[in-house]
Amino acid sequence: MNRDAMTETDSRKRLMALMTRHQRQIFAYIYTLVPDRHDAEDLLQETSLVICEKFDEFRPGSDFVAWACQIAWWRIRYSRQKFARSKVIFDDEVLAKVAQTAGEMAVELDARHEALASCLKKLAPRDRELVLTRYEPGSGVAEAAKRSGRTMDAAYKALNRLRKLLHDCVTHELATQQPQGGAA
Amino acid sequence: MNLSDPEVLELNELCGAVVDGRFTEAQRARLERWLEESHEARGHYVRALGQSASLHGYAAEVHAEAPEAPVALAKSMRYALWWTAVVPAAAAWVIGLFFGERGAGDDPGPTPRPSEFVGQVTAAKTVQWISPPLPAGAHVRKGQKLELASGAAEITLDSGARVVLSGAVELEINSAWEASLRRGTLKATVPPEAVGFRVSNAAVEVVDLGTEFAMVADAHGAEVFVLKGEVAAAPRASPGGETILLREKESRRFAATGVSDVSDSVRKFARFAEPLQLSRLMLATRLVHWSFDEADGDVFRAEVSGARAEDSDAKLQLLTMTERAAVRAAGRRGAAVRFDGRTYARAMAPGISGTAPHTVSFWVRVPEDAPLSDAYSMVTWATKNKKLGNRHVGINWNRDRTEGPLGVLRTDFGGGHAFGSTSLRDGRWHHIAVCFSPGDDSADTPVQVRQYVDGCLESSTVIPGRNRAPAVEENAAMNDVVWLGRRIGPSGPLADHFRGEIDELFIADRALEPQEIVSLMNENLLPITIVAAHR
Repeated sequence: MNRDAMTETDSRKRLMALMTRHQRQIFAYIYTLVPDRHDAEDLLQETSLVICEKFDEFRPGSDFVAWACQIAWWRIRYSRQKFARSKVIFDDEVLAKVAQTAGEMAVELDARHEALASCLKKLAPRDRELVLTRYEPGSGVAEAAKRSGRTMDAAYKALNRLRKLLHDCVTHELATQQPQGGAA
Repeated sequence: MNLSDPEVLELNELCGAVVDGRFTEAQRARLERWLEESHEARGHYVRALGQSASLHGYAAEVHAEAPEAPVALAKSMRYALWWTAVVPAAAAWVIGLFFGERGAGDDPGPTPRPSEFVGQVTAAKTVQWISPPLPAGAHVRKGQKLELASGAAEITLDSGARVVLSGAVELEINSAWEASLRRGTLKATVPPEAVGFRVSNAAVEVVDLGTEFAMVADAHGAEVFVLKGEVAAAPRASPGGETILLREKESRRFAATGVSDVSDSVRKFARFAEPLQLSRLMLATRLVHWSFDEADGDVFRAEVSGARAEDSDAKLQLLTMTERAAVRAAGRRGAAVRFDGRTYARAMAPGISGTAPHTVSFWVRVPEDAPLSDAYSMVTWATKNKKLGNRHVGINWNRDRTEGPLGVLRTDFGGGHAFGSTSLRDGRWHHIAVCFSPGDDSADTPVQVRQYVDGCLESSTVIPGRNRAPAVEENAAMNDVVWLGRRIGPSGPLADHFRGEIDELFIADRALEPQEIVSLMNENLLPITIVAAHR
């Protein structure tokens, strides 16, 4: 194998490792700004391709998630026309502020993701099924309502209640994981 | 400033409306103002939306774990594994696309897995093997070393590339797309579907650009002859050597000392031009064909090699008689059958539920704006194979982005999946061929799936022979029945459906060779030698 091929292989392995580790965080960042699963996944795919193209510019040892989220942010800005027709749209200034907050909270969101797994387990089976059906690929509130035998209105209300419950549970989990006596 | 309880409640309500897509203009204005003015509100919003992003991920894992049964949530959740199990696949295909890899499931690993077939011996002439003898029809594995003492043997790789080895030869098959010639003479014929096929040795790597070429390797280097088309030849032994584009009737010798002209090239070219009479493999094939051109009421006629086969006629299941006209559509050839989500069809395909390999080929057109709920199933059938848990095989397009590119060809089988790389969801006709080799009930025999789209090999997936999904009871009424336009469960069709058009469906009772698949695509029939051998 020649030197160029080796360099490309090494580069590819590094990129693969970084994407494997951080793709979820990049998706969460995009979803926060474009809260539609399919649009967010399209943007994640576009972002991943740009990351591949620009990977030579990434400085090893620097913050990959921050760098990748910056690329995602450009993609979102670039795609504003596309999403202008969507129901959920904030103006540029608000979107920029939310993007900055989301970037600053990447570490916290990662911890919340981990804690969410144990909180989901604590839900009653019927509630857990409702939540997971709602978020299943190709599904939605209507499907979740149908499968659980609820009306649409009841399903919306139940989902809001359960999301609040999970949010509070995650916050509690993270608080109890903090080292004791840390805040003097 | 901390948010008050009523403010948190209102924010939750607004975030829920955002996530569920039922956002009123008044709510949008209210939330926008809040996000602009309050850092705490932005933090709460980011946490709420981040939680929904995570829930999408966890739910996708549950969905992927139980793709066919009604979801047994409590039993099948594997939260901690979601991102390690699913995201690498997603990352891999994006990165794979960028680096221009061919064949999603064909990435050469460091250690070749046993029984991963990548080609077949398709012809031979007085061949003497040094490596274990391979009769015509024998499969060749990834990583297999072939060594001939004399005679000639033709290997057809799953990519469609054909190599003829003659005389004393040593060749290693690296994948369906690549081989290494250690010594001896090789002649490669590469159809357009296999452009990119490579042959390498210590002195040179030749990448085919749609051509016919020969390579002769010895202990000191290799000579490359382009018989038709052109190749890119990259010297490997001389550092810094640039890739050379060689055109028809050009040749070069590559060695550690550099690149030079081939001595006596005219005589050598003449030798390669001489026809080589090989004994070609002719396999008996039962090929059932539904053209969808002729219908008798709700029944589409089936033919076996041109003769009517009433046993295999495809009967449409219609909800109302007025739908009968709606199922006819202009096809890739003549008429096609249109599935609208309510209509489906079933037909007998003797033997397809058993352990013998089969090939299913057809044209399909999927609407560009097809929703994800329209992905199941173009063609599907039940199995009576313990290794597959008697579960069905489904040829679908992929609706789960976390597992592979959206819209690509996806074959599901007993808990395993194979993914292609071309999105079918573009409103155009695509030719599909899936070679499914379940193997026998033995856990030692792998399941192998080759997927071709528009004649090109898109994936070759091998799943070790273990049962990856819960078994279902064998249902004799489902055996050897092929269903079109619906997903099936253990007892019959389910509500999940396919929406789109299907034309020229063929089912062959063996794994067809690449050029046979191309023949079905281009000519709507198998090469004449195959038809002649019909039993």
